[in-house]
Amino acid sequence: MKRTRAAAAAAVATAATLVLAACGGGGGAGGSSGGVYGDCSTNPNTCNSVPADQLQQGGTVTLASEKNIDNWNVISSEGNVDWTGMSTKPLLTYAFYTSPDLKPTLNTDLLDSADLTNPTTIVYKIKPAATWDDGTPVTADDFVMSWKWQNGRDCPACETAGNGGYDQITAVTGSDNGKTVTVTLAKPYTDWQGLFNSAAPLYPAHLGAKQGDLNSPDGLAKAFDWFGKTPPTYSAGPFKVENWQDNVALTLVPNPSWYGATKPKLDRLVIRVITDATQEPLALQNNEVQALFPQPQVDIVNQLTNIPNVSNAQAAGLSWEHFDFNLKNPFLADKALRQALFTAVNTQDVIAKTVGQFNADIKPLQNKMFVPQQDGYQDNLTATGQGSGDIERAKKVLTDAGYTGVGTALVAPNGQAVPPLRMRYTVGNAVRQTECELFQQYAKQLGVNVEISTTDSLGTTTSSGDYDVIVFGWIMSPAPFGGAQQLWLSNSGSNYGHYVNPTTDQLINEAAASTDINDARAKLNQADKIMAEDAYVLPLYQKPTLAAVQNTLGNVRNNASLDGITYNTAEWGIRSGS
Amino acid sequence: MLAFAVRRILYSIPVLIVASFIIFALGSASADPLAPLREKNPPAPPTVIEAERLRLHLDQPLLQRYFSWLGGVFRGDFGPSVVSTANIGHDLGDRFLVTIRLIALAMVIALILAVVIGVLTAVKQYSKFDYAATFLGFLFLAMPAFWFAILLKQAGVSFNLAVGSQAISTIGQASVPPPKGTGPYVLDILGHMVLPTISLALISYAAWSRFTRASMLEVMNSDYVRLARAKGLSRRTVMVKHALRTALIPLTTVTALDIASIIGGAVVTENVFQWKGMGDYLVTSIRTNDVYATASWLLIAATVVIVFNLIADLLYGVLDPRIRYA
Repeated sequence: MKRTRAAAAAAVATAATLVLAACGGGGGAGGSSGGVYGDCSTNPNTCNSVPADQLQQGGTVTLASEKNIDNWNVISSEGNVDWTGMSTKPLLTYAFYTSPDLKPTLNTDLLDSADLTNPTTIVYKIKPAATWDDGTPVTADDFVMSWKWQNGRDCPACETAGNGGYDQITAVTGSDNGKTVTVTLAKPYTDWQGLFNSAAPLYPAHLGAKQGDLNSPDGLAKAFDWFGKTPPTYSAGPFKVENWQDNVALTLVPNPSWYGATKPKLDRLVIRVITDATQEPLALQNNEVQALFPQPQVDIVNQLTNIPNVSNAQAAGLSWEHFDFNLKNPFLADKALRQALFTAVNTQDVIAKTVGQFNADIKPLQNKMFVPQQDGYQDNLTATGQGSGDIERAKKVLTDAGYTGVGTALVAPNGQAVPPLRMRYTVGNAVRQTECELFQQYAKQLGVNVEISTTDSLGTTTSSGDYDVIVFGWIMSPAPFGGAQQLWLSNSGSNYGHYVNPTTDQLINEAAASTDINDARAKLNQADKIMAEDAYVLPLYQKPTLAAVQNTLGNVRNNASLDGITYNTAEWGIRSGS
Repeated sequence: MLAFAVRRILYSIPVLIVASFIIFALGSASADPLAPLREKNPPAPPTVIEAERLRLHLDQPLLQRYFSWLGGVFRGDFGPSVVSTANIGHDLGDRFLVTIRLIALAMVIALILAVVIGVLTAVKQYSKFDYAATFLGFLFLAMPAFWFAILLKQAGVSFNLAVGSQAISTIGQASVPPPKGTGPYVLDILGHMVLPTISLALISYAAWSRFTRASMLEVMNSDYVRLARAKGLSRRTVMVKHALRTALIPLTTVTALDIASIIGGAVVTENVFQWKGMGDYLVTSIRTNDVYATASWLLIAATVVIVFNLIADLLYGVLDPRIRYA
């Protein structure tokens, strides 16, 4: 008996030790969900700002990256990965980038100016001091190589991520020793600031020319591939590569030839590959990393909030979640049914039961062309009643259209029973599973059965149209006009649901080639209103991005665009006295 | 003995071929290597997708792809990865060394602990020590590997906070950049090894110590051990030279058979501690629908399991002369 009690006591002691050990790291006191990020929601571009003279000279900062770098050419399809873009941002240069308020911003380190001198001509003035780290000036040659890679004509073998806008350029010429770049377009291009931006940065043409003749398709392809497989030995940014360990870390040190106004304060910036984001908070607490930029999840946000001397901030980004119908389904070809189903959806409820659990500020998205931070955003959805969860209104839509069995077993006006709808989501995505289950509940109240199934290949499912209803996310382009063409034109490869409307096609094309930005925005909104009325896609919410830093770091902040947290690494530093 | 070993190796070749085909076929049927490309946003141009399809030989029938791959394996070419810049054979080689370092150390620690604790608990059956060790054994046995690893990480961070240093690391095999000087460098490596090694070792130890205990109890009650004692041999001699040697035979079997589950445990451990070994490679390969990489990984893992089984067979002969002469 005594032995049994002793064993039991040992059991309790051991279990308690393990549990205490597990809980001991947190500690609510001093935990910060605001901290140095207290004003990020109101001042996204300047929060956590620290003047250079209040930063230490030197020090190492380690940033956790969720992905390895498999291809260094960000312009390539394979290299067009968020973390590859963020990791190479401190090395490469570009004409425009997206600031945390999601506005396109001129890169004044590289350029004196970038102007649309007439509707089809862009003139970039490169700073005389702008050079690659080997002393070669950044010139029009770098622009020309990038254009030829992406225009779809000069380098057929270049597997680029996309060629939006570059196919409309007819010539890129240099003058003033290559420091003035003149880009000629075939027709006006509203999103001209999206050309040569940080999503498609410049690579050094003088190194590309060593791989082959850049005036030939073969030479361009060789250069394209070389930049993809070769870790950068070049830099035109504030940092350069000191060391790359595949799958482990990218170590950057200040570029001594950096010509920008802000010189890096850090001795070293390490971008450490941690492919399991759930391991990042503990690494931050253990000071193995000092900054994180993971996909937000409930557990991660809760963990971060409980770590002392750490701040975290979420920001609504360019990525947004939505329900889509497949109009090939003969029942869903009827607008009334689509309108009723989307009216039955309570978007606020969907948010509350999914992403609202770790971000109370997320609001329903009411536009498919713009996000709220972009000029041109307006509510085009509320008037339609879609996303309101107003079941009575939804039922009335159906009754008015001649449906029977509303609320029990829906029968179409032609007498055919509405069959169960097949709804798909990506396997393992718990948020989307909940969204599907909620949609199922809403539809049930109208007498429509929804059968939920997963897909392990979203791309295959969408492109084959193997669904009736689907939930997934789009990433809005910071250049909204070209982005709208890509997503919403009837002949677009992204028109998975087979929505065809010549009127919206015309409006979107006119907006993309407009010379009046306000007129272009108005046209996109007009198209969005028509599409909202047609109830083809129901936008739900903007997905947030999450940044977390130790409070000792200055000038590190959330940027919800594709530029991400590394958009301003030259300014990063450790607060003096830390 | 040599003929026996050669015979076993020859037997294992068809097993490997059948296993590799099943793996390759299942992998090809269940994963579309082009899916991540199709899901890109903005979508990849159709020409890019077609080029990838050809590069990955997806235009060929399954059997042709399999035999091309198998033929390549014999030449050291493990096929094209979905990552065009990657070399599967090279990557697997690097990662194999990382995993072997983790597994070997964990196994050595687990075996030493299992034998020592197993023998002691058998000798001191129903003592407080036996109860405590039994309890701990079952505790470690019952704990999911990933959960135990996370608990250890939390404990490591708490330890660091308590002592005000960063002696124990939770991520990776070494710091980046590594500390300067031999002493700090070695300490850094040890600081990164301690938690994953303990995590993997204790889970293996739990089962093995129970086997050792049971086996020792059985042997200690056997006639030949009683005879040895009756002959007046010292307790130490009876235990070590007569009882333990026989008791180790089942442990040898279990250890060899457990290599598959240890590799499985390493997958979890490496993921939690972000060691870039074979486990991390498998997870990444599955995540990216990299069929050639997954099949190559499983081929290597299957080979390791077969080799360990062969080693176990050979060790039987060493431990039990009756098997050697049979």
